[in-house]
Amino acid sequence: MGSSSAQRELQRELEAKANDLSKIQKDISKNHQVRKKYTIQLGENELVLKELDLLSEDANVFKLIGPVLVKQDLAEARANVRKRIEYISAELKRLDATLQDMEEKQNSKKEAIFKVQQRIQSLQAGKAKA
Amino acid sequence: MAMSVRGEMEKLSAEQLKAVKEQTDLEVNLLQDSLNNIRTATTRLELASSALHDLSLRPTGKKTLVPLTASLYVPGTLQDPDQVLVDVGTGYFIEKNMPQAKDYCERKINLLKSNFEQLVEVASKKKSISDEAGLVLQAKLKQMAPTAQ
Repeated sequence: MGSSSAQRELQRELEAKANDLSKIQKDISKNHQVRKKYTIQLGENELVLKELDLLSEDANVFKLIGPVLVKQDLAEARANVRKRIEYISAELKRLDATLQDMEEKQNSKKEAIFKVQQRIQSLQAGKAKA
Repeated sequence: MAMSVRGEMEKLSAEQLKAVKEQTDLEVNLLQDSLNNIRTATTRLELASSALHDLSLRPTGKKTLVPLTASLYVPGTLQDPDQVLVDVGTGYFIEKNMPQAKDYCERKINLLKSNFEQLVEVASKKKSISDEAGLVLQAKLKQMAPTAQ
């Protein structure tokens, strides 16, 4: 009787850990998606900045705000795009850090699950002998 | 190089090989998607380039019909065929003259083409790894089949 309740305990532990693991994995895939979006935006902004840098100082630059094109100062436009690139890069770095953190958590959870599984197996093996 | 990859694969278990194959297949599909995207982008730029060329052939003051909706057109005259607005992305538009605009299209097309070629190389490498994994996996499964019986 004692061993079967211990087994049930382990089973419950295993389930809880598996739930945690799937939650972490969901977070990781969400992180991947957000990162993909930011990487695309970063690339686009860098292309725009390259274009802006190629322009001569008297070029006319417009920004689309809603349905209207608003004329913008070239220096201002460059500064804006630079700031945006900075922001996105910082955001990407932050995402990288959290991703690493989550991957570590995922690995330790996997290990913990493996250990619980082993304990269940050894318990079952002992039962089979008895 | 290919031989060493194969040698590494021989050491893996069938399970691991399956995982490797699935992973590389996923990457191959992703790369294929990217290649398709680049291809559509290139066609769009080529379209823009030919439209520019078309525009540059029209003289100033030429009568045109401007579409307001898909079925409603109003007459207009071509004011300044040399100045065009180029959408450079993220909501920014730059006023360019004809040669500059054409140059812009050319540059973008060339950039996309070079990216495309790089990606094709990576994709074909990945594909060969995935094929290799599939072959080794099948050989492994065949080996295992008689012992299982």
